[in-house]
Amino acid sequence: MQDGDHTQQTVVKKVLCIEDEHFINELYARALTKAGYQVKVVIDGEEGLREALTNIYDIILLDIMLPNLIGTEVLKQLRAKLPNLRAKVIITTNLELGKEDRAAIEAQADGYIVKADLTPRQMADFLKQLELTP
Amino acid sequence: MGFNRKQFRRSDVQTVTRAEGTRVDDFQKLRRKAYLYLMFVHGILILFALGFFLVATNLGYDFLPVAFADGALTLVLAHFAAKISSRFVMQPFHLLWQAILHVAPDSTSVPPPNMQKLLFGRELVTSLANRVYQFASQQDGTELASHRKAISQAANIVSHFPLPLFVFNKDQIVTNASDSALEYLNIKSPQLFGQKLFDSVNLEFQGDHTLETWIKDCQDNKVTDHGEWQRVHVLLRDGKTIKQCDIAAYYNRDNESGTEFIITFFDHTDLYGQDEQSLSFVALAVHELRTPLTMLRGYIEVFEEELEGKLDPELAGYMHKLRISTDQLTAFVTNILNVVKIQENQLALTLVENNWQLLLKQAAAGQLLRAQVLGKTITFTVDAKLPTVAADPVSVSEVVNNLLDNALKYSPTSKEIMVKASVNKEGMVETTVQDFGVGIPDSVIQNLFEKFYRNHRTRAQIGGTGLGLYLSKAIITAHGGNISVRSKVGEGSSFSFTLQPYAQLADELKNSDTSGITRHAHGWIKNHSMYRR
Repeated sequence: MQDGDHTQQTVVKKVLCIEDEHFINELYARALTKAGYQVKVVIDGEEGLREALTNIYDIILLDIMLPNLIGTEVLKQLRAKLPNLRAKVIITTNLELGKEDRAAIEAQADGYIVKADLTPRQMADFLKQLELTP
Repeated sequence: MGFNRKQFRRSDVQTVTRAEGTRVDDFQKLRRKAYLYLMFVHGILILFALGFFLVATNLGYDFLPVAFADGALTLVLAHFAAKISSRFVMQPFHLLWQAILHVAPDSTSVPPPNMQKLLFGRELVTSLANRVYQFASQQDGTELASHRKAISQAANIVSHFPLPLFVFNKDQIVTNASDSALEYLNIKSPQLFGQKLFDSVNLEFQGDHTLETWIKDCQDNKVTDHGEWQRVHVLLRDGKTIKQCDIAAYYNRDNESGTEFIITFFDHTDLYGQDEQSLSFVALAVHELRTPLTMLRGYIEVFEEELEGKLDPELAGYMHKLRISTDQLTAFVTNILNVVKIQENQLALTLVENNWQLLLKQAAAGQLLRAQVLGKTITFTVDAKLPTVAADPVSVSEVVNNLLDNALKYSPTSKEIMVKASVNKEGMVETTVQDFGVGIPDSVIQNLFEKFYRNHRTRAQIGGTGLGLYLSKAIITAHGGNISVRSKVGEGSSFSFTLQPYAQLADELKNSDTSGITRHAHGWIKNHSMYRR
């Protein structure tokens, strides 16, 4: 950086979207990119776990019904292998879990979203709010 | 063998008397003494009468006056003599009467007979009185034996009763229970007998009317009562197994045996368990509906964003309507699920601290857009110094959304909807949604918060499911608040609900985990809906 250069570099937040539904990936990628996020989409549970263990992300959107490794198992292994994981993990699902199962997942995740309840833009707003919380 | 009066002979009486040990000649002695006493008294009187007559006539008095005087004096003396004599003669009878009354179970306190008062026949009367007391104690013994036999029979019946049956006293200590009860709870008898009922039996009820509240009501206010509960969860000691049953209870105050309460369980674990499978089916159906809804909402949003300013107003309006309908359909799918959850006691809410002004505006955001499309305005008047509230944000937002949705639906011509929030007299945060639309008839108000209930007059013109207010009531009640309605046909309606300030739940917070206070929305709830004129 040269003297007099007052340009500020904005840190771009990285989002890992582990979701097998193509249209949701498309919609979330579009909305989150517009909101200033860098988005990586993965459509498989095993691949998603590998990606989360290998690269650094700020937010992980994790679906439950995934091929090869379901989302709850991905989360469990992520927490076991990376106890100091910096990324905030948000479960995204349209499933209606029993209260015990939901409570168990919410205990391990940083958020729980029913996909049908939020439009992609509302999801982006939610993630912005999430960044503000410690 | 029954007693046959015709076979009974005089000699049997004497035989029986002798066999009981009371000697006949004792009675003869008493009679002789009474005879001698009376003869003595009569003799005195006769001698007095004769003596008086002789003395008076010897003194020269005329016969007739002397006779009259003699007769009168003798009569007076005879009166006093008879009075004294009757007391002595009746004394044995009086003392026996006292003895009989003293041992009679239904008599008031009568002192025991004092035999020292007897002038004659003391031995006989004492002996007879003793017989009375002996006979009475034999009867007591017989009654005691019968009573003990009855208790034993009752205990046997309870023990072998084919359903879980519990008997407990006024201190809620279990005094008896059926073998089925031990089997049902999978516990041993020392863990139940002699223990407080609720230390051994863990029950969960739908609604606020529980066995405990009924017990308290009985002991405070009732002499006898019955109680019934359905779909009660019985949590077993292993901490995992839950059985479901109906309960029937009976109360009788001050029962001599010490038993005040009897309850029995009717197990329906299989039957009610099937109902929970219906929740699984609905959950699956909801998932299948939500997936295409997510797609619809997502792509509609894309169109709105990309075509903003490029569409003519009419087409832009169509796009908005498309969005609103999709949002409503999404809300309806969630409503169906929540209704089933409420019925299965599965709807759990987590109350956390919320800035009510902020949450209210966020909750109303969707309806604000709809109002805009419909050409109406929603105005907010919120007190600046509102305390934070204890609320489950998602479910309370549903309530706000529902009330605003109704306000918009039932205001075809009026333009304004008002939302107000303030602290009421009871210290609760009260929120009111007021419209100036068609209003609600009196006949409809009473049933307004029931599931699927809709006003028949507007049903054809105004779409709706009849679930919104039912859900709203369940949610607000679970929050510890009340929901009410005030309405007049042609003038509009005012729906109000209250929420507890967060500070009021300080005690409850101490006992909860850090995520908040968990409440359950039940299908059976008290009627908090109040219609005010």
